[in-house]
Amino acid sequence: MSNSTPLLELQNVGKYFGNVKALENVSTTVKAGEVTCVLGDNGAGKSTFIKIISGLHKPSTGKYLFEGHEVTFDSPREARALGIATVYQDLAMAPLMSVWRNFFLGSEPTKRFGPINLLDTKFARATAKEEMSKLGIDVRDIDQPVGTLSGGERQSVAIARAVYFGARVLILDEPTSALGVRQSDLVLGYVKAAAARDLGVILITHNPQHALPIGNRFLILNRGQSVGHFEKQDLTYERLIELMSGRVHAA
Amino acid sequence: MSEFDDVTPLKPSDERITYRGPLKRLLISPEIGALIGAVVVWAFFWGNGDKFGTAGSTANFLDVAAPLGIMAVAVSLLMIGGEFDLSAGVMTGASGVTIALMAKYFTDGGISLWVCIPAAFLLAGCVGWWNGFLVNKTGLPSFIVTLGSFFVIKGANLVFSKRINSLVNVSDVDKAHGYKFFKAVLGGENKFGDTKYRDIIFIIGGIAFGVLLIIGFVEQSLLRLEQTSISTMLVAIVGAVAGIAGVLILHRTDSVSGNVLAGVVGLSGAALAMVSYSRARFQSREPLVGALPETARPLIILGLLGTAVASLAGQLFDRGEESVMLQWFPSWLRLVVAVAAGALPLWFFVRQVKRGDVEFRAKTVALIAVRLPIICLVSLTGIVSLFQLTTVQAVRAVLITVAGTGAATCLYRARSIAGKQSTKWFINLGVLMSACFIVVAFAVRADSSAPRFRGGIFATLLIGAALVLATTFIEANQKKRSLADLNADRLGKRLVLVAMVLGSIALGTRLLFSEGVFRMSVFWWLFFTAVGAFVLTKTKYGNWIFAVGGNKDAARATGVPADKVKTALFMATSLMGAFVGAMILMRLNSVQAQQGDGQEFEYIIAAVVGGNLMTGGYGSVIGASLGALIMAVSKNGIPAAQWNQDGRYIFLGAVLLVAVLVNNYVRRKANEQR
Repeated sequence: MSNSTPLLELQNVGKYFGNVKALENVSTTVKAGEVTCVLGDNGAGKSTFIKIISGLHKPSTGKYLFEGHEVTFDSPREARALGIATVYQDLAMAPLMSVWRNFFLGSEPTKRFGPINLLDTKFARATAKEEMSKLGIDVRDIDQPVGTLSGGERQSVAIARAVYFGARVLILDEPTSALGVRQSDLVLGYVKAAAARDLGVILITHNPQHALPIGNRFLILNRGQSVGHFEKQDLTYERLIELMSGRVHAA
Repeated sequence: MSEFDDVTPLKPSDERITYRGPLKRLLISPEIGALIGAVVVWAFFWGNGDKFGTAGSTANFLDVAAPLGIMAVAVSLLMIGGEFDLSAGVMTGASGVTIALMAKYFTDGGISLWVCIPAAFLLAGCVGWWNGFLVNKTGLPSFIVTLGSFFVIKGANLVFSKRINSLVNVSDVDKAHGYKFFKAVLGGENKFGDTKYRDIIFIIGGIAFGVLLIIGFVEQSLLRLEQTSISTMLVAIVGAVAGIAGVLILHRTDSVSGNVLAGVVGLSGAALAMVSYSRARFQSREPLVGALPETARPLIILGLLGTAVASLAGQLFDRGEESVMLQWFPSWLRLVVAVAAGALPLWFFVRQVKRGDVEFRAKTVALIAVRLPIICLVSLTGIVSLFQLTTVQAVRAVLITVAGTGAATCLYRARSIAGKQSTKWFINLGVLMSACFIVVAFAVRADSSAPRFRGGIFATLLIGAALVLATTFIEANQKKRSLADLNADRLGKRLVLVAMVLGSIALGTRLLFSEGVFRMSVFWWLFFTAVGAFVLTKTKYGNWIFAVGGNKDAARATGVPADKVKTALFMATSLMGAFVGAMILMRLNSVQAQQGDGQEFEYIIAAVVGGNLMTGGYGSVIGASLGALIMAVSKNGIPAAQWNQDGRYIFLGAVLLVAVLVNNYVRRKANEQR
């Protein structure tokens, strides 16, 4: 992927629900190997933004480009087929199932044994462990129930799963919102590692401290409006805070 | 011993995982509680009456219990998938009525069973699909939806059988075409010649079981030592072989003295194995008692008191039986043991208090305060049974119950004192468990007229005790040891697994083939359990079942066809109901229209007792099967112990309550952050 063509691009996208403007005039780009952070306070339109990108909503106005071509999605499945994977806050995991069972949930590896399709547990265990270690995640015990993992580790399983199953754009919805400082650092590390594997990452957060160190590009939303779109070098922490709180508008 | 050669040296797989020994790993699987429960309940009833527990009677009640067991398999799968089916019980009746009515009245002269039985399955499939469809479509709790189906089917059963047959039962289907075949396949007792082959299978299986089990444990535990001690290992194996020899003698002889001899040989062999094991572990360690933590003292006190009670029991209630065990343990010796066991803890306690060990005193008081209600309840139950029955047998039963409860309390106490911080509680648990095993073995052995079957179980219990103890000692040192060697682990696990299978086959042949009769119902029970367990753990569909029960939205989000899985589970349950209905019809040659009415709760109880979570997402098919076994044992054991038949509901309720509490605990453990 050449650096000039963005993996994913939104041009002046807006979404209206009747007369409610949920999102208006938002543009951003996501490049392979880079992290695009979407920042905003509660009610800024972040969820609508995710839903548009993941194919749950169709934008009312503007263009949605994937690898330079305009696309419209009728369902999230179509977006997923293109490699746009979303890791939601609730993570889509069954807490009482083991890490590897969750990792391969819905796409279980099988091997034929006579007429029967067996679950290839050996492969599943080894692959889950290996894939996670590729992102720098070191699970203690691949057989332990996901419910026994810490919040950060659970995020990491979800991220590794998305990466393994061919995600090209990874949308992370508030991955650090419920985590402590150390756990957040860990998760942000995984996000970076995922981006380093030539994925485009969209990180949605309301925490500028988490966004600033790892983002390459920043989209700041407030009350459904884009209040700024910056490259990393054009932005300081103070400026970011001001923009997010809505006191100042970008020039 | 080529297996031992290709084992790579120690390599810590991950330094953050403390090594979990075989027993501990076993303990976190869902079915293990049910297994322990089944053994305990079995041992309890078997210690209570000599009618219960012989090979023949066991085979008979397993035969009767098979429908419950088969249904429990399907119901547990459904429960893991997060749903219930209240129409499962009445479905068995519906299937029986359908088949019987069609076979007798369809197109005047009746029709072949080759048509009737598939028709019943078709009907059941439709009912299951409808249940699943409604639950998926409406999102209503399956309790309500299937309750509706339950009433509809119940009514239909009555209406049709009265209308067509003018009776609430339909009988004499044996004239229908194909009856012979279906009876042989579904409900029959097939003669299989003499019992010689059974004995051979039992002996070979038993030997292989013991040897593999010991080698497996050696492999898993001993080989992880820095320096493997071949001599110790050999002694362990010799001990194991001696233990097995004990079992063999038990099998071969009918005489009481022969039994005792075999018991002693078996015990000493097992003990040898155990000691050589622990010697390897404890060579440079403090003695065991010195190593016991402070907090274990109350346990020792309670345990010793329990021993005192157990020893005195025979003294107080002279059974006037010619028991060899009594001869080996003359009355003066029993008295001495009892007094010593009783006085020792007292002395211990007094010394503690005198020393002013405030913490210890406070703990003891707290213990009594907390446990008092439980003790009262148990005593009350004991007294009531005493008055009701006033037989020596009942008294013994009550004593065993009290001792068992005491032991359980001890275990719980050990756990709560030591907390999670150490493996100390685990030592206590293991020691107590093996002690309980031995006490039960001897209590039962001394109280029975010792048919061979009991002798076998006696020896098994002893060997079990030895194994538990040995494992415990090894566990106790886990911190000292560098971490799991995967090769040894894997090989050991396989050996143990193979041993278990062989042991089950050996025991199974004794049960299935008793009196030269092979019981198809028991076979189907085992078959469906195996299939269910296989699907659940070894195929992707099992993964889906866990997922729809554990987190349906997550399952759907990752592409699992959640609705289809649920519908399939409902259909499987109904189809299994149809199968069981056909089975019962073939066996009894008649069907009651109300058959299965209310049974659905027994299925659910069996599943819950077997460690399945009511809320779905966790559980085991084998556990459910064992749960059904527990219920069957109690159903059969209560009359055999000459108790009031109706008392089984009390028992059932208690078992259910205990099982749910244990499940809850296990789930909490599973969800704890490690």
